[in-house]
Amino acid sequence: MTISTQAGERRRPRIGSHAFLILLALAFLAPVAWAVLSAFKPANDIIRHPLEFDLGTFGLDNFVGMFHDVPILHGFLNTAIVLVVKGSITLFCAPLAAYAFAKYDFVGKNLLFGTVLVTLMLPTIVLIIPLLLEMKELGWVNTYQALILPGAVDAFAIFWMRQVIASVPDELLDAARVDGCGEFGLYWRIVVPIIRPGLAGLAVLTVMNIYNDFVWPVVVASSERMATLQVVLSTLASTISGNKIGADYATVTGELLAASTVALVPLLVIFFLLQKHFINGILAGSVKG
Amino acid sequence: MTFTTLPGTARPRRRRTGLPVSRRIAPYVFVAPFVALFLAFGIYPMLFTLRLSFTNWRGAGSAQWVGWDNYGYLLTNPAFWNSLANSAVLWLLIIPVQLVIALAAAILLDNAKLKARGFYRTAFIVPFVTPLVAVAQIWVVLFDTNYGAVNAVLGVFGLPDVAWLTSSEWAKPTLALLFIWKTTGFIIVILLSGLQAIDSSVYEAAALDGAGRMRRIWSITVPLIRRTLMFSVVLQTLAVFQMFAEPFVVTQGGPYSSTTTAGLYLYNHITRGDLGTGAANSFLLVILVMALSLGFVRLLRAKD
Repeated sequence: MTISTQAGERRRPRIGSHAFLILLALAFLAPVAWAVLSAFKPANDIIRHPLEFDLGTFGLDNFVGMFHDVPILHGFLNTAIVLVVKGSITLFCAPLAAYAFAKYDFVGKNLLFGTVLVTLMLPTIVLIIPLLLEMKELGWVNTYQALILPGAVDAFAIFWMRQVIASVPDELLDAARVDGCGEFGLYWRIVVPIIRPGLAGLAVLTVMNIYNDFVWPVVVASSERMATLQVVLSTLASTISGNKIGADYATVTGELLAASTVALVPLLVIFFLLQKHFINGILAGSVKG
Repeated sequence: MTFTTLPGTARPRRRRTGLPVSRRIAPYVFVAPFVALFLAFGIYPMLFTLRLSFTNWRGAGSAQWVGWDNYGYLLTNPAFWNSLANSAVLWLLIIPVQLVIALAAAILLDNAKLKARGFYRTAFIVPFVTPLVAVAQIWVVLFDTNYGAVNAVLGVFGLPDVAWLTSSEWAKPTLALLFIWKTTGFIIVILLSGLQAIDSSVYEAAALDGAGRMRRIWSITVPLIRRTLMFSVVLQTLAVFQMFAEPFVVTQGGPYSSTTTAGLYLYNHITRGDLGTGAANSFLLVILVMALSLGFVRLLRAKD
């Protein structure tokens, strides 16, 4: 699979290249496609004939059972609340701070920005235990604050937005000042419209990160009431067999695939609609350590 | 008010006296929300862990100073070394395979004449945008020994069933496969951005010299994007040593602790309530990961 490119390349480049790329694309799409299609199959067929798909037998049984046994809607609700509040804080505060770093001088600016750069390089896992303890001290374990505030204005967003805002010409800001524009007005009416593509990339990346976040939610908000979508998903098998007396492997598997499908779809839809911003966001996001 | 202490971070700008008050105050107001959150949930806990790692605190009650005991306990504990060894083996299983696949795909995608380029790029990114936990659940079903689709495919080719998740030899490769599947598209996009910065005249000159395809890739393309390659290795090293959700969902660290990664081992201190040890473990992990990253960067410098 990995060597097919090289061998036949010079004689028949197109066929060799395409064979490799098609195989790779298939390998990347197959697990998701298999899971989504299987979720519509009768549960027994999923395990007895995993490779056969008969459209005539497709139905929604697994989904109906899953919505009954798994508190997935509650997970969606919690994720949505965190997404809206945390996402808004990130998208408002990070570019604003980045604007100050890019276009103003102030005491402590270099020290502060240096600290931002250092935190970019630290593995995120180092903060999990101390943050958990801080949440315990504050009495915030299993609360929305705990899910929302830590990491709401992350160092990476500032680092990235500072680079984007640095490209806005100073002359434009000075001209607007002459016209009597206030300092926040400069940001809101001049900077924001110019950096809109960068903001879109940040928005997409932020949504993806919050939606997929798992380590922090499972540590700080694992109660049934506060579980986010990913936390709900992480214990599917035990949840399903706990809520359905006498559930066999087939039933559990069917509902598990139905839940995974429901969780996959929103991000895939956003991805297909906003592909360009996604790629930009991922590329910029790759700077993050 | 306006002097800068470190070179390079601030743009050189005209020094102005008598700026309006609003303009002098504005930057402090703009960074205030960030600074508040950063101090409260970044700096403070970081310093707190350092102190915590020298105590036997269990999350409640009083903490006793235990000096280097937590570090000593970890460094003499086979389970700690086992978690590092598991992560190191996963690193070896993942990084070379992933780099070869990603480099091959990126080089092919770099050709503007390639048909269906957009389709491939989209297909390769799909795994990266799927929620990891959902995919990990799908992995459990796909790789089930008795009912999984993967063994069914092997059966079509007359191959015997493999105990992907229940044998300690196969559990690590199965997790490695999940990680490769999930993140290779991301590496392809990064490498592609590196390749697109190469001037195509370099290739033409090499082609005139009669250099073969493989030779051109090895002696021209790879050296030219070595920074991007090294960057990918550093990123993935950080990610592999923090790997948590994959073993948490797919194997729960088993069988026989064969998939208890460094990240999962750290988490296990939390569930046991042994937070002092957990804090010490965090710092050891940070030191290890930073040392590895710096090592790769030095390797890159040495070749410059």
